[in-house]
Formats: sequence, C-alpha cells, structure tokens
Amino acid sequence: MTERERDFPALLERLKPECDAIVARYEQRRSALLPIVHLFQQHEGFVSREAMHAVAEMLEITPAEVEGTVSFYTLFYRRPVGRYMLQVCRGLACSINGADDIMAYFREKLGIRSLQTTSDGLFSYEEVECLASCDRATCMQVNLEFVYDLTPQKIDGILDAMRAGTYAVAPLAQTDAPGGTWEIPQDAQVASGRKAPGARDVESPNNAGGVGDASGTIMLDNIISGDVRFFRKTAERAVVDSRAVVETIDEQASHAGH
Amino acid sequence: MPVTKVLTAGIGEVDMRGIDAYRERGGYRQWERAVRELKPADVLDVAEKSGLRGRGGAGFPTGRKWSFLPAKQPVRYLVCNCDEAEPGTFKDHMLIESAPHLVLEGMLIGAYGIGAHHAFIYIRGEFKRGYEIFCAALEEARKAGYVGSNLFGSGYDLEVTVHRGAGAYICGEETGLLNSLEGKRGEPRLKPPFPAIEGLYRMPTVVNNVETLAYLVPILERGPEWFSAVGTERSKGYKIVSVSGHVQRPGNYEIPLGTTVREIIELAGGLRPGRSFMAVQPGGGSSACIFEEHLDWAYDYESMGKAGSMLGSGAFVVFDDTTDFVKAAYNLVRFFAHESCGQCTPCREGGSWLARVLDRLVQRRGIPGDYEMLLRVSGSITGLNLCALGDSIEPFLKSVLMRFPEQFTSRIANVRESA
Repeated sequence: MTERERDFPALLERLKPECDAIVARYEQRRSALLPIVHLFQQHEGFVSREAMHAVAEMLEITPAEVEGTVSFYTLFYRRPVGRYMLQVCRGLACSINGADDIMAYFREKLGIRSLQTTSDGLFSYEEVECLASCDRATCMQVNLEFVYDLTPQKIDGILDAMRAGTYAVAPLAQTDAPGGTWEIPQDAQVASGRKAPGARDVESPNNAGGVGDASGTIMLDNIISGDVRFFRKTAERAVVDSRAVVETIDEQASHAGH
Repeated sequence: MPVTKVLTAGIGEVDMRGIDAYRERGGYRQWERAVRELKPADVLDVAEKSGLRGRGGAGFPTGRKWSFLPAKQPVRYLVCNCDEAEPGTFKDHMLIESAPHLVLEGMLIGAYGIGAHHAFIYIRGEFKRGYEIFCAALEEARKAGYVGSNLFGSGYDLEVTVHRGAGAYICGEETGLLNSLEGKRGEPRLKPPFPAIEGLYRMPTVVNNVETLAYLVPILERGPEWFSAVGTERSKGYKIVSVSGHVQRPGNYEIPLGTTVREIIELAGGLRPGRSFMAVQPGGGSSACIFEEHLDWAYDYESMGKAGSMLGSGAFVVFDDTTDFVKAAYNLVRFFAHESCGQCTPCREGGSWLARVLDRLVQRRGIPGDYEMLLRVSGSITGLNLCALGDSIEPFLKSVLMRFPEQFTSRIANVRESA
C-alpha cells in the first residue's frame, strides 16, 4: 500500500462535507459526479481508483459506472501526471498561425511527445483541441490557466520559471509518482480487433468506439469476483436479471405451446 | 463601418466582474423589472417579437424553442450552454470572463420567461478561470437578493447551479450536455423526444447559448422592436463574430446581422500586407468555406446557407494564400474524429478513416484514387447520425476538395517512382 493509499481515508473524511454540499445542489445524486471527481483530482493530482470507489458509494452507483464516465472526459487523469500540465492548442486557427512550430519546440525542449510526462515528474505535455482563444493564437493552458501569443522565447521563460519554482501558476498536487504517460492502453478486446477498427488508434484519453479499456474491465472483474462491498449489489442485479430471463423464456415457451 | 457595442460594451475598457460596476451600468434593473412588472408570458412575447435566434450554432428562434414546453408540466429547467468548443469560436469565453453578471442576468430572465425555478450553467472544463469568475458573480448576486427564494418579495423562487465540464466537445450538443449534467458520459440522446419535452431528469428543459441569453437583457431594456429593426429579413439583431486566422486584428466584433463578409474582414484589420484572400470559414469548424465570390454577401443565417455554408456560432476564420488546405482539412477532420463519442458508425468510422487518408496526403504519400475516395466518403456521413457532430465532418473538407483539387492531387505519390 502506498503512502497515498494510506492517506486516502483521511482525505475522504476531510472532503466528505464538501461532497455532501455538492450532492445537495442537484435533484439527482449522480449529477454530482463531475464536480466531485474534479474535487478529488484537485487534491490527489489525478483520479485514483480509491476516489472512484468512494464516488461510487456516495452516488449509489457502481465503480464501473464511475470509471466509464470518468474515461469519457479528457481533463480527468486516471494516472498520476506531472506538476505542470502543459496543454498546447492544435486547433485550426492556431495551426495556421504557427502551432506546428510551437508544438515541435515543446517536444524538443521537453524530450517527450503528446500525452507523456518527463521522467522528473515535473511536466506533462498534451496537444489539445481548440481552446477558444483564436484571437491570441498560438495559445496554451498551464494547469488550466491560459497563456497567449506563444513564442519560443516565452516558452523558455515559462519552463525556466517552473523549474526554478517561481512560476506564477501553482503546481498541481502530486500524491503519486507519474509514469511515462497518463493514457490508459486499450484492452485486449481492442488488440484482438473486436473494437471498431476506425476508432482503434485514435489517440485520445476519452475512448471513442464504445469499448471500455483495460482498467474498466479489470474493475468490473474485481466486482464480480468478490470485491465484497459491491458484490452484493451485483449479485442482486444478477438475481433480478436471471428472473427476467427465465420469465421471458417461459412466456415464449407458453406462446409456442398454443 | 458598422461597429456596434451591445453585449461587448465596456469589455476591455471597464472591469465589470464586480456587481457594483455592473449595477452602475444599469445591471439587474431588467431582472427586477421582469419579476416585479412582467408575467413570464410577457417575457416570452418579447423574445418572440425580437426575432432573436440561437447564437450557439443552429440559429433556432429562441421564443419558439421556449413555446414547445408543455404547459401542463410545472417542473422545467433552463440550462445555459457555455461549453464553447467549436473551433474558431471564442465569444462565450470572453463573455463569461468579462461580463459574468450580464450572462447571469440573461439566464435569470430566460428562466423566468419559461417559468423555471432551477437554472443551470454548463461551463466548459477548460474555462477554469471563467468558472471561478462566474461562481464569484453568482455569490454576489445571491447576497444581493437576485437569486434565491421569494425574489423581490414576489414569491417567485429561482436557484442557479454552476456545473463545470471536464473536456469533451460533444457536451456542447444539447442532449450530450444534459447527460453530462446528469453525471453520465456526454453521449447525445436519440431525438425525439427533444429536451423541451424530455430534457434534464426527463423534465421539460430549454438549453440556450450564453450569447442568446445575454441578449435578453438589452432586448428587455430597449424593447423587441429595437432589436428586430436591425438585421435582415429573417436574421434580426446583432451577433458577436469571432474573427481569427489571417487578419491583422483578430478578435470579437459585434455587428448587425447582414454586414457583408468583406466588411467583417476589414473590421478585423484586413489581410496582412502583400497577402491575397483565399477563403473564409464563416461558421466554425463545422461549416463549409466560402470564397471570393461571396465577399459582398450579407453575413446572416439565410445568405450563408445560400452560399453553401452556415453562420453557425459566428466563428469567422480567414485564410490567405499561405494556407495549406490539405493540412487545414486534416486538422478539422482529425478534430471531429477525436471528439466523436463513438455511438454512430458513420461518424466514428467515417471521421477516423477520412483523417487517415488526409494524413497520408499531408505527408505527400497519397495513393492514386485518394481524391475520389475523399469525395465519395465525405458524401456518406451526413444525416446518418444521432447528432450533428457527424454532419460537421464533411462541409469544410468538401468545400476545399471542390475548390482546390490540385492541392490534394499534387500530393499523390508517383507509384512508379517510389517503387
């Protein structure tokens, strides 16, 4: 168990009142999913497995439903990321104003590609879609704060300030060491071709194509194979479902008899 | 040159984020007047008479959208769509950061007009700063008695909830947005039923764009005739146009609808010296290009439609003769492939396969027949999907394929030579 995992119960207890307040803003509990996940990510630096389990319990849905939702959104990171998330716009207006050169400069200076983290855990880099600041192309976000009118000189200044710890934007929380990427590889079903081929290597943290990814599948397996907290729920559902199946079969059989 | 400042008045000159600064400029007077003096039906009437149409992209008449709500159902919601992510659009980003109280007042008036007691604003996840600014404005307005229960002693209650997205273009589609607001994947729903019948929590819901709702404030103040007197026959009033690309002064320009395409380019400082005009994408990443022959056309919903494109969200991207249209097409098609939610095969497969073919053309490794294939495939996606994202993949590509075929065909590698 890592340090972070040991600390998680304390964090959960600390955030509980705020989570309850968020739930109270909506007519239905599940609506609180995005804001509560944002809250956990703000404190942990990413959306941990423990956080997803906790959110599932709070909202009375399954962890698979939480992860299935979280995996849809590009701003939720399911693995630890760097202290500074550098998201450079690759939209059309930036592209025709030199974004290719800016992105190449970033890749060279950082020595990584899009969706990767530097080995010192300081920088994560991603090339993102239009950031709605086309009048000040080329632009980027640093930990979601905008930086406009990028030039190589400006980038040098920003990176140096971050390394020196003097940059104006606060670093992200980092409760676990980041790996080389926060992207989650798609699962064996994809590799075996069961996912629609068009969507197969669209590089994206939100999974187009409708088939889940490795961790989602594993989580579901965990539940079915005995994560006791959720086993009961799944078992109940299985009972209900199997009854419905039996009824349907019976009904068909009786129709066939006439 | 027709420069207008209605919603953009004071932006960039005065800090209007605080409630006092906003009230000094007459802020919240229309809200108070609406609750004290007008019935919801009066507000609906004003919206209808003004001719205001949705400023988010589809251009649907706002009053008519509201009128679809079933009269017998008392629970209904207003949702303000601030998930601005259409490539080239940056007006809502400006409004939410610079004029949050104006946006809020428009929302309150809209909610009152449809008889809602709970309004939501869905703010794009990337607009973290805008979210913080809007939340602060909402707290101020709550303290001042503009939001909450028994407003102005009238017995009318209205709560406002701010909901922040988490990165997904498709959540700008109204039913995708509603799913996201319900804590689900932002996958669009099958329509009908439309949100007016079955929206948030399966209750009647109106989803309106930020700019649309904000216009309710000056319309209420100056009267619907003031708004409908401006514009063209069916495109009334003003519009914020986000001008970007190859112009000297990119930015948000508020214009009367019907201003010509050429005038808009001139407002933004014209082209860079020594460059010549090639095309404009007049309605965001989803729209087809228009060309030189359209420069003197009116910028309104009908004319842009007639020109083979659309006004959309008012994103106006100008291209000069330095533009590589193959790369531009790749950029946009890749965008839609990346943002496809994956529910519908034509959109998910069509987008990503088109992107693949365009990618190899960008690399100058095209295969003979690629041009014809692009033409064929780009005609077989539209109209076959749950939502308009799929329909958005082809227009730009098709327009530049037809207009600049040599830019594409010149990138087909000579097979014999490379063998």
